[in-house]
Amino acid sequence: MSGALPVYRREMLSLWVTPLAWVLLVVFLFIQGLSFYSIVVHVSGMSAASIDTGPVQAYFGQSIFLLVSLLLVCPALTMRVFAEERRSGTIEALLTAPVTPAGVVTGKYLATLTTYFAMWLPTLLYILILRNTGQIDWRVVGSSYLGVFGVGAGYLAVGTLMSAMTKSQLTAFVLTVLVQFGLFILGIGEYVFDAGLLRDISSHVSVLSQMDEMSKGVVDLRRLVFDGSLVGLPLFVTVRVVDSWRWG
Amino acid sequence: MIEVEHLTKDYGTVVAVRDVSFSVGKGEVVGFLGPNGAGKSTTMRILVGFLGASSGRVRIAGHDIADESIEARRAIGYMPESAPLYLEMRVREYLGFRAAVKKVPRGERKAAVDRAMSLAVVTEMADTLIGHLSKGYRQRVGLADALVANPPLLILDEPTAGLDPNQIREVRKLIRSLGENHTILLSTHILSEVETTCDRAIVIDRGRLVAEGSIGELRARQKAEGAALLVVGDEKRAKELAASIAGVRRVVAKRADDASAVRLVIGYEKDTEDGARILESVVRALVLEGLGVREATPTRATLEDVFAELTRAEETAALDPGEEEDA
Repeated sequence: MSGALPVYRREMLSLWVTPLAWVLLVVFLFIQGLSFYSIVVHVSGMSAASIDTGPVQAYFGQSIFLLVSLLLVCPALTMRVFAEERRSGTIEALLTAPVTPAGVVTGKYLATLTTYFAMWLPTLLYILILRNTGQIDWRVVGSSYLGVFGVGAGYLAVGTLMSAMTKSQLTAFVLTVLVQFGLFILGIGEYVFDAGLLRDISSHVSVLSQMDEMSKGVVDLRRLVFDGSLVGLPLFVTVRVVDSWRWG
Repeated sequence: MIEVEHLTKDYGTVVAVRDVSFSVGKGEVVGFLGPNGAGKSTTMRILVGFLGASSGRVRIAGHDIADESIEARRAIGYMPESAPLYLEMRVREYLGFRAAVKKVPRGERKAAVDRAMSLAVVTEMADTLIGHLSKGYRQRVGLADALVANPPLLILDEPTAGLDPNQIREVRKLIRSLGENHTILLSTHILSEVETTCDRAIVIDRGRLVAEGSIGELRARQKAEGAALLVVGDEKRAKELAASIAGVRRVVAKRADDASAVRLVIGYEKDTEDGARILESVVRALVLEGLGVREATPTRATLEDVFAELTRAEETAALDPGEEEDA
């Protein structure tokens, strides 16, 4: 893990002194705001709401906006981490310092993860707004955020891997979107396939089902294990990829 | 400081470095010389652990670059070709990051950065974005980066490439002064750079080591080619006399600036070992005939010629598979 901390700090600086993080933050919050606004308008028109159909559940569990914003934000956050370093040649200076590939990958990944967390922070305001008009179950809020962090963490790990596979940021972006979209489509299979192995697999990897469950306060360990492997496996492969450049 | 044994690097069928062995002792300033595409950068990238060797061993400060990579890399300050930098960072930020990555203890980082900046003469640009710096300054920031952890060994890949003549002179001066406290290996395709900055040179061509030695030893390969004389007297007679000396292949008379004198350019026979003796005989013959000799200057092959010859010899050896010997 040698070098993870300085690499993390440099990545954070680089993300936030360039316009990228701020542009993404604006786009992300605009989409989230739109989503939240439409949900609030919708819910306020309803005469009665059950415990499972409140605005928090709708916001985290039922809204397609959430997936759209993740489809955009995650690949954009990770696309440059390795691709840009290899294109500009700075990777040579980085990897000839006394650092390990695992340290570099960890530092870079954690920086994108922190930035992703930071983007979600302002949405806590929505919860505070809701609290003024009704009751909030903080456990549900907690499991909902756990859900978006879990999903995002996996997407960011996939994005980090894709960025290490190409020198082009655009290619890295498109590849990550493709993988995310593929996982989403696989999840849709839950509603397409007949009962059986395929449907089981589909429901296991379904982001929609995961967010639906977690927005209702259901924390299924299998979901977290899946998210965890979607972080661990791509990052492990990324370390191998970085190591393999020596033989390129 | 650097020990390289039978280093080979191939990319499939293309062999970039072929069985290269050399060593660099502590405190030496060594020039790594070769035409573009000779395998200089590849070799250096292997030395610093950026690329893996296909076969052979590299030891840096006693550590094997493959087995004890981190320890070996801690001893190296490396400046890659054209010094790639993060353009969105300020010079001080960048060097601080590099110091941290190179494990300079937190409390000593600021001092290390200040020291590196003053050595590389970039202190006045400390708070400028690297993206706003000129090529010359970026090169110096790259040098400051190599220096920031105060490593015993500096490996610099083409440190003067892309600089203007004034900047080149400054960087060379800097390298010479760094040579007092560091072991330096620098690559270049410019011979005069080796002459002005290095104690010793390693010449490679097409991935092979073709010559190694001190600048003096390389110079000794420069055989005397001929001489230029400024003679006062009869041009025709002088030519005849010079041509009569054994070992002289050709004599050309040229008009001198001074109308009363004539310039004779003498070429020795190929592979003459004792040019000085021939010149002595020529002068003696002329003087005995009553001609005045105002100047007698031996013309030597420049290091450039030696270089061209070494790399050409390699070419002919490559054409003849029976002769694999290095020139």
